[in-house]
Amino acid sequence: MKILNRKYLLTVGLLGFSIMVLGLGSSVSLASDFPEAGDFVRGSKAWSENCMRCHSMRSPSDLRDDQWVTTVFHMRVRAGLTGQETRDILTFLQASNAPIDNSAGDVEPVSKEKIAQLSGGKIYQRNCMACHGANGKGVLPGMRDFTDKTGRLTKTDAQLLNNIINGFQSPGSSMPMPPRGGNAQLSNDELAAILSYIRQEFSK
Amino acid sequence: MLNNIAIAAPSVEELAQRLEKMQIDMDNLKKQLANRATKQDIQLVEKKVQKANEWRDSDTLVHMAGYADVGYTDAQSEDGSFNSANFSPIFHFQYRDLVMLEAELEFSTADSGETNVDLEYLTIDWFVNDYMTLVGGKFLSPVGQFRQNLHPSWINKLPSAPPGFGHDGAAPVSETGLQLRGGFPFAGIRTNYAVYVGNGPELVAEFEDGEYELEGIEAEGFGSDRDGEKVYGGRFGILPFAGLEVGFSASTGKATVTSVEDGDDGLLSNEGARDYDVKGADFNWLLGSFNLRGEYVETKVGSSNAGTAASPGAVWETWYTQGSYRFVGSKWEAVARYTDFDSPHLSQDQTQWALGTNYLFTNNFIGKFSYEFNDGLSGNASDDDRFLFQMAYGF
Ligand code: HEC
Ligand code: HEC
Repeated sequence: MKILNRKYLLTVGLLGFSIMVLGLGSSVSLASDFPEAGDFVRGSKAWSENCMRCHSMRSPSDLRDDQWVTTVFHMRVRAGLTGQETRDILTFLQASNAPIDNSAGDVEPVSKEKIAQLSGGKIYQRNCMACHGANGKGVLPGMRDFTDKTGRLTKTDAQLLNNIINGFQSPGSSMPMPPRGGNAQLSNDELAAILSYIRQEFSK
Repeated sequence: MLNNIAIAAPSVEELAQRLEKMQIDMDNLKKQLANRATKQDIQLVEKKVQKANEWRDSDTLVHMAGYADVGYTDAQSEDGSFNSANFSPIFHFQYRDLVMLEAELEFSTADSGETNVDLEYLTIDWFVNDYMTLVGGKFLSPVGQFRQNLHPSWINKLPSAPPGFGHDGAAPVSETGLQLRGGFPFAGIRTNYAVYVGNGPELVAEFEDGEYELEGIEAEGFGSDRDGEKVYGGRFGILPFAGLEVGFSASTGKATVTSVEDGDDGLLSNEGARDYDVKGADFNWLLGSFNLRGEYVETKVGSSNAGTAASPGAVWETWYTQGSYRFVGSKWEAVARYTDFDSPHLSQDQTQWALGTNYLFTNNFIGKFSYEFNDGLSGNASDDDRFLFQMAYGF
């Protein structure tokens, strides 16, 4: 009986102690803005580096904003992501799930001077690299390669810019290109500058 | 001065004109006002938007996910049949970034036509801080990668589990207890961990040729701990660079014989607690459209001199390597897997080459065709080559 008691006390003590220690390390007060905003750029990188480790990459357009919340928290536990990675990835996914929208019609061409003023390379690296890669070959399995001589860059500037701005999905692909790469803040001028960078770098 | 005023004073005609223009402007303004939303209208819309936003931004989220599959199997020595209609809904309830409840049920059709229902897992996940989540309940074993990360049919690139990774093989399936999981960056490298304490597995004995021997391990998250001895274990994963993950797993504790295969469990008495040790290693490498992964698990059970089923110890061991390639710009994928499973029983030992072709309608809806070249003790199911077809949908 005495032994049993001691064992019981030890177990309860140990569990209680661990919960207390964990509790001390936890953020007790709830953040006022849930889900806390993350960083889009870091999120796109963390997404491309983590979300196809176990299964095929799920398209941002698969789920609604609120559905992504529970799914990304589910994946946080499964994949051992940090809280920061979770918030960043969620921000990226919620921004990139806008449907393809061709209703706006054709986009006005952007002048060469305007393009020259913007550094397309930098904007590409921050916004497009997570999916298209530093070398333009594409990061997701099965994705088309910008450097392919007979590939996507054989289309006209107007076609490509339209597809970048409105979003685009071709019959053979399992994921759409999100409108503006998911970053609604990018202006048409900036996107035209990226396109000019893509042409320069990858269609040599 | 007076003169000036006289000059500036408009004629009656002019005044009449102005008045007329004003009348027209006034009418236009009235028309515009009539089309305009009033303050009340705007408040009404605001209210509606707020209501709608409650749907989007509530503190409590309820979500359903899961997967289902249907299939067809044709083995050498058996007639082909449709099989494995399987439906596994997952329920999520989340309160902000504090806690989540995850539960997965598994509905399947048994050979006899009955419907089986199992609780795959049920956990309450407390997000302690950015680097720790405390998981309590029945969870998938964190040992290795197949069971916790790859077994759902829309994820597994072949219709079958690698030999030894299914139910009561070499790799543990699930566990009931407490688990601490998370990830942290270490010297610029991503790492993740899972450590747990649980009830541990139970052992099955078999009476053959006049003596007892160990038949199998049931590591399926028992809801009670019949031997009173806990099992401790975990996995540590390192991602030296994006695309490569290497993991190491281990668990240790005690396990006791609690049932007899095709026999009378009532005969068992005073069974001794045996040593139970699991070791595992796994890797996963993604390079463009190529994916190579593999995993090794060894489960060792010690001997026992006590009890009815006293017998020597036994070792189960299995490993697989799987390569897959997604054809560029298409929905086709090719996959090959080699597995070598060693158990204490010759009739269960198996080496297998599984070759498959998959069509990915989308990344979560997959048609799989595969052929397994199985090599085991002849005359056993483990030696039968098989053709398998499966359609799997993850939602
Ligand atoms: C460690 C492996 C692993 C990683 C990494 C991973 N997933 Fe998953 N994912 C799974 C498993 C396993 C399931 C199936 C869940 C189940 O059956 O319990 C799943 C399910 C899903 C689902 C289906 C819906 C659901 O909640 O079950 C979506 C969508 C998804 N994952 C997206 C992602 C995203 C986005 C990421 C990156 C943040 C990611 N996954 C990273 C293993 C992983
Ligand atoms: C979430 C991943 C993702 C991001 C981020 C992304 N893309 Fe894409 N992009 C795709 C996919 C997938 C396709 C192929 C779509 C298809 O063919 O169905 C694509 C296709 C394209 C194409 C070819 C379009 C065509 O008409 O064939 C261009 C050009 C392009 N992307 C530019 C960009 C630019 C510029 C950015 C950054 C602003 C960007 N992408 C960001 C996924 C992405």
